[in-house]
Amino acid sequence: MHESDEVIERVVTALRRDVVAFAPDFDARVMALVRDEPRAVPVRGIWAWMTRPRTVRVTPIGALALAAGLAGVVALAARNDAPAPTSGVAQAPAGMVIPASSSTQMMEFVFVAPSASSVAIVGDFNDWEEGGSPMRRKNQPGVWTITIPLAPGRYHYTFVVDGTEWVADPLAPRTIEDDFGRPNSVITVGDATT
Amino acid sequence: MTDRTAAATPDSVLVRRVLDGDVEAYAQLVVRYRGRYARFATHMLGSVEDAEEALQDAFVRAYRSLARCEDPERFGSWLFRILVNRCRTAGARRGRRERTIVHDEIALRDAAEDHPEESVAWREEIGRALDRLPTDQREAFLLKHVEDLSYEEISAATGVGVSALKMRVKRACDRLRDQLKEVYSARE
Repeated sequence: MHESDEVIERVVTALRRDVVAFAPDFDARVMALVRDEPRAVPVRGIWAWMTRPRTVRVTPIGALALAAGLAGVVALAARNDAPAPTSGVAQAPAGMVIPASSSTQMMEFVFVAPSASSVAIVGDFNDWEEGGSPMRRKNQPGVWTITIPLAPGRYHYTFVVDGTEWVADPLAPRTIEDDFGRPNSVITVGDATT
Repeated sequence: MTDRTAAATPDSVLVRRVLDGDVEAYAQLVVRYRGRYARFATHMLGSVEDAEEALQDAFVRAYRSLARCEDPERFGSWLFRILVNRCRTAGARRGRRERTIVHDEIALRDAAEDHPEESVAWREEIGRALDRLPTDQREAFLLKHVEDLSYEEISAATGVGVSALKMRVKRACDRLRDQLKEVYSARE
């Protein structure tokens, strides 16, 4: 190991002596941007409201996904303010834009993971809470679902398999890395500009 | 990387105040960590201007996700993880554009007489050698030797395993030594 040799020591010494001075208005610029952001608040209260029990009927989309040979997730939307549908409702791959609506829409996320012991979903809509929101097994083997009411907007999310493995939505057209380099999928509900 | 100053308001208190609606309390966190992380960002990106942009972006993203900061007492470490990622993104976006670091941007301490090894030419050579390192090796070298973090701390900040980090640091040292030994010897 040569890490402590003279050249490296001199390099480290020189770099440690660097004193970087940012522009005098740096702090003010940051705070101006921060003030333009929505207020930073815990969203647990909103989440509790969003996830309270309510009656919504959805199409057994998991069967469709399996029939189509899809190994991923499908989101399903139903108008929250409309009468509960008695037959099929609009469906769209996760990441697609659901038609604009001013009201909350019920989104059913379906994830196919036959060998998983548990699957949860974490995202902007549940404050990325530790452990996420548990998904439930559908009638079909290996199909996990959860229905989440979402207001129009853009949401990042990912699946957590067996409590440890983060898996992006394989069908989402948009996958981005979060601030820690982990893959996130993107779903837009309602107006894509929101 | 939390603030150890006895008189300073703890990070956890400031984070709580921000989440309770006192946006201006965030300014104290900006002041606290701006100076602390400016050097790393500048060394990573080779330009004070790019470093300002990366750190500004990190502060805004941290504010946006503040409710997801699971351990507010370690806000600084959490912010640093975001900054490391922003530097990676900024570095990738910039590609191989020439680093524009200039001496006016870094206030070298006026110790040239006591430390002749810190001459302007020597410092320029270091900058060039640093720039030629692969990003992952530059990141690991700076965090280990310049920012003086432990391998465990670097692993937490980067998400990279300790063994891989040790290899990156070793390779970075080998490359820097190869590139700088002749310049260093010629100075003597």
